[in-house]
Amino acid sequence: MKIQINGRWYEAREGEMVLDVLRREGIDVPALCAHEAVEPYGACRLCMVEITHEDWGGWKGNVTSCLYPVEDKLIVQTHTEDIIELRKTVLNLLLARCPNSPEIQKLASEYGIDTTSFVPREDADNCIMCGLCTRVCTQMGFNAISVAGRGYGREIATPLKEAPPDCVGCLACVKICPTHHIQYEDIGTTREIWGRQFELVKCKQCGKALITREFADYLIENRDIPADYFDICDDCKRSGTARDFKKLVHWEEKEEAEEEVSA
Amino acid sequence: MKIDSPDKLNAWKEECLQKDAKLKKKVMVCFGPGCLAAGCREIYAKFEEILAERKLGDITLESFKKTGCHGLCEKGPLVVIEPEGIFYNRVRTSQVKDIVEKTLAKGEIIERLLYKNPKTKERVLKYHDIDFYKKQTRLALRNLGHIDPDNIEDYVMRDGYQSVAKVLTGMTPEEVIDEVKLSGIRGRGGGGFPAGRKWATCRGVESDVRYVICNGDEGDPGAFMDRSIMEGDPHSVLEGMIVASYAVGARDAYIYVREEYPLAVQHLYQAIDDAKEHGFLGENIMGTDFSLDIHISRGGGAFVCGESSALMKSVAGEVGEPRAKYIHSVVKGLWDKPTVLNNVETFANIPLIMNKGGDWFRSIGTEKSTGTKAFSLVGKVENTGLIEVPMGTTLREIIYDIGGGIKDGRKFKAVQTGGPSGGCLPEDKLDLPVDFDTLTKAGSMMGSGGMIVMDDHTCMVDVAKYFLKFLVDESCGKDVPCREGLYQLHKMVVKVTEGKASEADLQLMEHLSKYIIMGSLCGLGKSGPNPFLSTVRYFRDEYLAHIIDKKCPGGVCRDLIRFEINDKCTGCTACIAPCPVDAITGEKDKIHILDQEKCTKCGACYAVCQFDAIDII
Amino acid sequence: MTKRFLIRPALCIGCRTCELACSLTHQENKKPGRSRIYPIAVGREQWVPIACLQCDDPACVKSCLVDALRLNEELGYIELLQERCIKCRACVAACPFGCSLIDEEQEIIVKCDLCEGNPACARFCPTKALEYK
Repeated sequence: MKIQINGRWYEAREGEMVLDVLRREGIDVPALCAHEAVEPYGACRLCMVEITHEDWGGWKGNVTSCLYPVEDKLIVQTHTEDIIELRKTVLNLLLARCPNSPEIQKLASEYGIDTTSFVPREDADNCIMCGLCTRVCTQMGFNAISVAGRGYGREIATPLKEAPPDCVGCLACVKICPTHHIQYEDIGTTREIWGRQFELVKCKQCGKALITREFADYLIENRDIPADYFDICDDCKRSGTARDFKKLVHWEEKEEAEEEVSA
Repeated sequence: MKIDSPDKLNAWKEECLQKDAKLKKKVMVCFGPGCLAAGCREIYAKFEEILAERKLGDITLESFKKTGCHGLCEKGPLVVIEPEGIFYNRVRTSQVKDIVEKTLAKGEIIERLLYKNPKTKERVLKYHDIDFYKKQTRLALRNLGHIDPDNIEDYVMRDGYQSVAKVLTGMTPEEVIDEVKLSGIRGRGGGGFPAGRKWATCRGVESDVRYVICNGDEGDPGAFMDRSIMEGDPHSVLEGMIVASYAVGARDAYIYVREEYPLAVQHLYQAIDDAKEHGFLGENIMGTDFSLDIHISRGGGAFVCGESSALMKSVAGEVGEPRAKYIHSVVKGLWDKPTVLNNVETFANIPLIMNKGGDWFRSIGTEKSTGTKAFSLVGKVENTGLIEVPMGTTLREIIYDIGGGIKDGRKFKAVQTGGPSGGCLPEDKLDLPVDFDTLTKAGSMMGSGGMIVMDDHTCMVDVAKYFLKFLVDESCGKDVPCREGLYQLHKMVVKVTEGKASEADLQLMEHLSKYIIMGSLCGLGKSGPNPFLSTVRYFRDEYLAHIIDKKCPGGVCRDLIRFEINDKCTGCTACIAPCPVDAITGEKDKIHILDQEKCTKCGACYAVCQFDAIDII
Repeated sequence: MTKRFLIRPALCIGCRTCELACSLTHQENKKPGRSRIYPIAVGREQWVPIACLQCDDPACVKSCLVDALRLNEELGYIELLQERCIKCRACVAACPFGCSLIDEEQEIIVKCDLCEGNPACARFCPTKALEYK
């Protein structure tokens, strides 16, 4: 099917959302709470676009593109006056919530907002409540963190605000956070996140660490991966693979091989 | 006893009627929310106590019924004696003995317990002669106050479950939907979407499973229509749901009711048990192959769970958070199956539509808003309570004829309809007919039927502040415009009440409101700025008075008012003791003095002064 | 039949042209990416070029909890969907051959994608130690 975006026609696939097409085609529409690893959520409202259709009798509407499924001949406008004004308002509000976030500052300034018109949050942190961390945690099957409270006091929290029993320290939440708000620390062979400590799996040969013992154990138990795969790091595994190859290669047949190739 | 045919139902109804006819008198003690608060339990207990000691001829304990809400909550506890319809209000336990000895034993009327007309000051003997009731048309509330909600026989006697018999044995689902469409009934939960169309869409979706849900998550401050129906006439809700389930093809239905309504929950459970026992629920209802179970799902009382997508998540056991509805829940709702969601009042109307026909229903009300609407009329009116009027009744009729006018003879200022995210309408809108479209056009909305009347001692900015605070607290916080936007809007309204806002702030507030409406995910946010927008639309002068003159014309905003003692002061000293900060000094018979430095503007002196000697400036 | 990598370590002279070709092919934000292929010295004048073997029962796919890795059936390789990847490193730790790699510069996970059917490393290999056919 085809959809029209800002006057040009683009190919779209059944089942995808308008935002998927916008991103694929490199059309600049901001979105802070969308990530392909998780279900669309529709919280930041920045990806809103105006839609209409020749069969709709002139009706137009503003929808979040992350949640709106494509349909044939859909007509999308990504930068109407109202949409731009909405994004400005949202960024203005986010800047009041997270005045110190470089990511928000940058995005806001792209929309011409350098200081917020509203009352900045006291003791502000950089969490914009996009819910990516909790959603990715759920997606991965851990459910270690979730949304707590409501309204302006909504927050991301562990159960009972204690060290989360179901966390494996995979750092998916850290990596997915668009404002780099979630903190962790690796010291020696331990990792600390969400107030809980994890043991890092050290490469038996070089000592390099990739993931936590808890995460590795989870993968061994639930994803049918042999336990010894996690004993050695990727660098040492490549060297080992090369050494194994060495045994199989007939090095003395170099000239034969050259002949074969030239023939 | 299983009722598996219309004949059996009619025979049972006859039996119930005969049993009822044997009761010479019936004493209806109101157990509605208002009367419960006013102490009706003690009244009933007192009746029981006296009856235990004293024989009253034909009148036994069976004659005493705990009914649902009668409506005139202001005057509770209420006791109505049938068949005469003698209406006693503000009954105290000490007066119960009199009622037994005089009225029940000798048929004497106790004058001082009768309702007093606030206009004519005359006592009114009978229920139906009271203006409050006379001007109403009670359809959804038809049984409230007339039956014991825990007694299925009371319900059957008043045509209960007749529509189930009629529909299941004589109509196809399509015919049922056509009849509902013909009636023109629109959802009573606030949206006003035509129920017939909703049912037809749901039935039309290809699916093996469909659900019916009753939304009993009434959360608006001051609203208790649905609660009263669930408490006072639970079977009418079940009956409507059975018809709806048959029409759309549902095998399971859910009632979502808030945990804060324990009595409603209790009565619904009882009603479901009784309905099952008599075969109105369960397998092969009315001897047909239609089967249905109704389940109760109890909500934790988050306001946003009244929003349909959040409600369905909550029923499914997930966090009650709204989702974007580009695919409607009628197509993909509970557990992603086609789902019909209507509210309590809508379902309560369905049996009547089936029994009397869609044409009859649409003859009531207006062309585009058919039937009646229940309201909880509260605030500064003489008769607060639960009412039901035909659509198209004017606000003036509701407030002045049924409500008895503004309390204490004060001046009307505004009426707030549509719950927290509704709007306030001023005096020149009083003659507007109350229906879905007119209210929306005027900048308010029907909502689920809360109606709060305000007098001239109300500050409209303060009202906006109150409702915004409610919405800020109840927003789930998922999306930015609703979570951050309403919070900031509330902050700015507070700034106005403190006299610290500028006209530029007012413009920013209007701008912000526009984009909260445009950007929010669910109905809560989309209507969230209404308290501000409707007050600034009709009472802009009041905002400007706060901003420019630094005055609060309603005399409410503490930072902008001061109390002064004028020369009407008789020196009675009544105001001296109530002042918590000793700001008032003075001797008997001399004009008292108020120390502005000490005064915290609590208003205690103003409240006690009998001589209008304290001015709010 | 799908094409496969043909590796002849005996011909590899350790010139690292394959690495350079890979790195320049996989640019992100105008910076060369981390090469997905490495000629590893295993003795004097002896090198083995190592890249993803596109296993039949890939541990990397099994280890990915957000389905960012999948078999691209058309081209017969394990595809890493960069937009879905959350950089948890499970695949890096799980691959028994060490062929899921961390690009520290770009802060992403990378692996051989066979250049979607025409691997640059093979094209640029001067000695045909690497071929794709």
